Amino acid sequence: MFPFPPIALLAATAAGQVAHCEPMRLNDLGHLLQVMGTFLGLSLFSLGGGNTLLSEYHQISVDQFCWLTSTQFADLYALAEAAPGPSSMLVGLLGMGAGWPEGPGWALLSAYGAELAILLPSTLLMVVACLRWNRLRDSTWRIAFERGLGPITLGILFAVGLKILHTADTNTPGLIVSLLVCVLMLRTRISPLWFMAVAGVLGGLGVINR
Amino acid sequence: MGMLQVALSAFGGGLSAWSQRIVVEERCWMSNEEFLTGLTVARLFPGPNQINMAVYVGTFFHGLRGALVALAGMLLLPFTLLMVLGLAYFSFHTLPAIDRVLAGVVAAAAGMALSMGFKILGQYRRDPVALLLAAATLVAMEGFHVRLVPLVLVAGPLAMAWYWPRAEASRLPKP
Repeated sequence: MFPFPPIALLAATAAGQVAHCEPMRLNDLGHLLQVMGTFLGLSLFSLGGGNTLLSEYHQISVDQFCWLTSTQFADLYALAEAAPGPSSMLVGLLGMGAGWPEGPGWALLSAYGAELAILLPSTLLMVVACLRWNRLRDSTWRIAFERGLGPITLGILFAVGLKILHTADTNTPGLIVSLLVCVLMLRTRISPLWFMAVAGVLGGLGVINR
Repeated sequence: MGMLQVALSAFGGGLSAWSQRIVVEERCWMSNEEFLTGLTVARLFPGPNQINMAVYVGTFFHGLRGALVALAGMLLLPFTLLMVLGLAYFSFHTLPAIDRVLAGVVAAAAGMALSMGFKILGQYRRDPVALLLAAATLVAMEGFHVRLVPLVLVAGPLAMAWYWPRAEASRLPKP
């Protein structure tokens, strides 16, 4: 055991990769509350529709708490994108991964807890914003907020895109598919489900692997 | 209230155009203008846009209570489905066949993630300061691994100060 955990962590990061870190076990309510607390704190930082948080989710669930491997994270992200409903429900899947070692019951509990935690603060703020919108609309604070945070959101989204690409970590045909999908997403209105279906078949045939 | 729930769950998959048709045209719950205001608010504030939109519609009718009901209506079905998928994933993801298919799906999903930035790049094309800010943000996150929360807390106020509306510039085009 390292006497000073921060130093141990630094050493591990300096070595390039945290090869195997000890997953934080969710075997009591206290830890579950810690999971929820983490997501509660992030909720209000989900600018630009929530996807800006993806890097942070990866950091938390893979590097910090070791709930998931990087590959699993990529899988869950794809799953959340493919399933109907807002893709921000990914948080529920991350929570499920956190609770999985304790059995499906805990997994479900922590899934619901995590999703609730990420949605609650932004929802409450949204309710207040709706009720006060008439006064807020012309406030200089709102205009500065909207115009100032736009470019930052842009930068974050690019960083997030690269991060996911890096996490996916597929072979060259996979990378070509990723870039092709990116272009098609921007140039056409084809449903992304088609891209995922075709790529899934390519993966099944062994063309894309990791 | 019950109707709200049913209809909102219908646009879980939703494009905003689809929800507009249900909320404005079919149910006549609000005017088109009110709906568009909602879209603006939903995009501006933190939280997923579709979910914020449901909260807006709910709040419009019954305040906080309406918002929570709308949220439940919107999420209950998709989230339950996702949980089933998740349980299946964690039970079977070690099977080689499943893993191979997922490798392909992940490649496509990565492409989708990559396209998010490009999607909003166009509106900043004529604003060098915005591009510089975006580039600095990207470098901070990619090159220096700055975490999101400190980044937003430092860069946010700086950017807000730069874009603070000045009296003579108050007629700038709305985005």
